[in-house]
Amino acid sequence: MTSTQTKKQQYLAGLRSGLPVITGFFPVGIAYALLARQAGMSPVETVLMSATVLAGSSQIMAAGMILQGAGITAIILATFVLNLRHLIMSTCVMRHFSGEPAGLRLLSSFGVVDESFAVFCMEPEENRTLFRFLGLISAVYLAWVSAAAVGVLSAGILPQTLLDSMGIAIYALFIAILLPSLRQNRRLALLALLTAICNSLFSRLLPASWALIAATLLCAALGTAFVDLQTDGQKEESADAP
Amino acid sequence: MHPEILLMILGMTLVTILPRVLPAVFIEKMSFGPRTEKFLRLVPYTAMAAMIFPGFLTVDASRMDIGLVGALVAGALAWKKCPVMVCVLGAIGADLLLYLVF
Repeated sequence: MTSTQTKKQQYLAGLRSGLPVITGFFPVGIAYALLARQAGMSPVETVLMSATVLAGSSQIMAAGMILQGAGITAIILATFVLNLRHLIMSTCVMRHFSGEPAGLRLLSSFGVVDESFAVFCMEPEENRTLFRFLGLISAVYLAWVSAAAVGVLSAGILPQTLLDSMGIAIYALFIAILLPSLRQNRRLALLALLTAICNSLFSRLLPASWALIAATLLCAALGTAFVDLQTDGQKEESADAP
Repeated sequence: MHPEILLMILGMTLVTILPRVLPAVFIEKMSFGPRTEKFLRLVPYTAMAAMIFPGFLTVDASRMDIGLVGALVAGALAWKKCPVMVCVLGAIGADLLLYLVF
């Protein structure tokens, strides 16, 4: 893939594309930190978990499970299941990086989370470069770790109403990056609707993490039969042309 | 520091990194046919749809209007081609107003 930007420009552009994610991360990171403290984790442990695990929903779940008296093995197993979806997401991101240095690829894979995956995969094809992704995940990582630190320090200072209102941010982010593509492609919009319905149904039968994986894979497979990504494909061909 | 908490963090880190790193290790050895390629290009759209729905409705478990109004405002702003940041801040602002007024 050719890009006219230098690596530094790509990195900085990636950092900027992470800004909307930061807004979404703060309330989640703070909510996690408050719960972790309540569960008896020390300030250092609370921030350490954000720095090494980097997965909001499983961290909140872990703190909740400690509060309920669950054992370590159960918590680790639940984390594994909850984060299995990143296997699919990482495949979608990494397929753009084959041919890049293995070390940088490994480093970048650590930053594959729901939000970095979503922002990156909705970029125009020519923007999906390794250095842009590294910039994006730098912003995401710093935001996530500082959110935990802010949560530890600010317990009881930030007004609850503000934190509650910020809960919508992650969903607003996903909606804002998904909608423009659906607007241009009715069949893709139909596929998104189908996925939403499938996920709602599956959520009644399965744990939410499995429902998400099942709906994502099943509907993407169904989509190969009726969704036409032709316009996107033409763009990709022209971007890849020598 | 509690040893068992540190052990838990270590275990969670390992099981979280594993699914993220595997594709980075094996992507060079994998080749995708056109149909798989198309499938992988569709996954971001279906994954995102599944992450939005039905989760946004229960952003506040006791008030469905918070999720609905926030999502509608984000959607309307995105439809008007506002930058992502504006959509996010707009949704937060709408929910803040909703909490303060009702």
